[in-house]
Amino acid sequence: MKGKAILYFIICLFVGCSIVVLTKTVNGQHLFVSSKVLDDYRITIEGERKDIENLIKLADESREELEALEALKAANEDISREVEARLFQDLDFYSLAGGFVDAIGPGVEVVIDDGTRDLEFGENPNDILVHDLDLLLIINELKDAGAEVISVNGQRIVDTSSISCSGYTVRINGQFYARPFVIRAIGDGSRMSAALIGPGGYGTVLKDWGLIFRISILDDIVIPAYTEDRASKYMTLSTADKVKEGENN
Amino acid sequence: MHKKGGILVILALAILIGLILSIQMNTSDAYEQGGLITIAQANDLERQLKEVRNEKESIMVEYLELEQRLKEIEEQSLSEDALLQAAMKDLERYRMAAGVLDVKGPGVIITVDDPIPTEENPGDGYSTIMVRSDLLLSLINKLKDAGAEAISINGQRIIARTEISLAGDNVNINTVPTAPPYTIKAIGNPDTMEGTLNIRYGIVEVMRNNYGLQVSIAKQEEIEIPRYSGVLRYLYAKPVDTTGAEADETVDIADGSETDQQ
Repeated sequence: MKGKAILYFIICLFVGCSIVVLTKTVNGQHLFVSSKVLDDYRITIEGERKDIENLIKLADESREELEALEALKAANEDISREVEARLFQDLDFYSLAGGFVDAIGPGVEVVIDDGTRDLEFGENPNDILVHDLDLLLIINELKDAGAEVISVNGQRIVDTSSISCSGYTVRINGQFYARPFVIRAIGDGSRMSAALIGPGGYGTVLKDWGLIFRISILDDIVIPAYTEDRASKYMTLSTADKVKEGENN
Repeated sequence: MHKKGGILVILALAILIGLILSIQMNTSDAYEQGGLITIAQANDLERQLKEVRNEKESIMVEYLELEQRLKEIEEQSLSEDALLQAAMKDLERYRMAAGVLDVKGPGVIITVDDPIPTEENPGDGYSTIMVRSDLLLSLINKLKDAGAEAISINGQRIIARTEISLAGDNVNINTVPTAPPYTIKAIGNPDTMEGTLNIRYGIVEVMRNNYGLQVSIAKQEEIEIPRYSGVLRYLYAKPVDTTGAEADETVDIADGSETDQQ
């Protein structure tokens, strides 16, 4: 009986040992990232294909318009009305995209404020204050969830909008604001709120730190146009016929 | 005697089974992840990527040509009307702000790459800059603060709606997957931007010292930044009615002037 017990003990020992050896090498293999590199390549190619798809759509739209206009032109008809209609349609669209007009639509309103809880002994007060990175991450997550137009405390977020802490205030588009921060975003309200308050969402993270975070889905949100000066001093249009090289990396 | 012999045999068997198991798992693992096969596959994918990018470039050129022709037709048929001329100027300004035109100007080029693996710090197989993509977000924010007028990351133009999100193992920018090294181009005052980034305890120092990232900044006389390559769609947001009415008014005025001409 005793012999059998020892036997089982030894077998178990060896099986255990081999498992340890096995997992160690598997872990060792993780340092070898080639499979990740392959995945990166595949997904980058996928991304480029998506870009191509988008471009084909854009090109097809332009081609259709061009063909329609050229057909009219060939028939010696006056195309100025067509061209005009297209111009004003574009004007409407790009004034919205560029932030030159007020925008309206359904979406969410997020309110973020400094935490009201007491600090723990020796805790840094920064833990319960709202910082620029918090706002940046919230806005980033909203955009990821399909936000089309965003404002922070009434400042329209455009392509050049920066948000930076400067002492007790936060500077947005060059104007100074203090807490609380109200972020409005037009888009799919349920998708945006799910992204922020879902597990791992940044709203949940802020709440866990003890900050105040509220989100509500609204039907009609009005976001004002960008009002600061947008004259560009440095950038000019680059000629369209220039063939770009290696822009992707 | 018999009993001892039996134990010895089973002992030897156990060792053998253990060894075989571990050796087998090891080799199958190596086949999946490393070795020559992977390198060949990587080269193949690299070639595919190049092909896809060339294809994208040719389609982009085609699209730009079409747009150019449309613009020419527009200019030909609208050249006489001052109001429409003004509208066209506005449109170009709006499109430039929306990020759908290629632009150029002076600025800085920043490259960010993962730390070089060393023997003490071989890394955990994950890309530092991808896991901490919020550093890119901060860097872009600092550039905007320093007055950058147009920015791109790895060829993706930063527009009002651009997100930088970690999706699975990849960082998506404008929903397009990207990977390190990251090349950030920014048009603006080169000295201001370089100074802002290089400030003591600033973003670049944090990236270098706290995360071991390789960061370099180069000032350039002229940088080209590509247009936003995605399709812009607004499904929820609409321009507010009052401005819409104004636009209608301008259409009416334009129509009026047109009938005058006729």
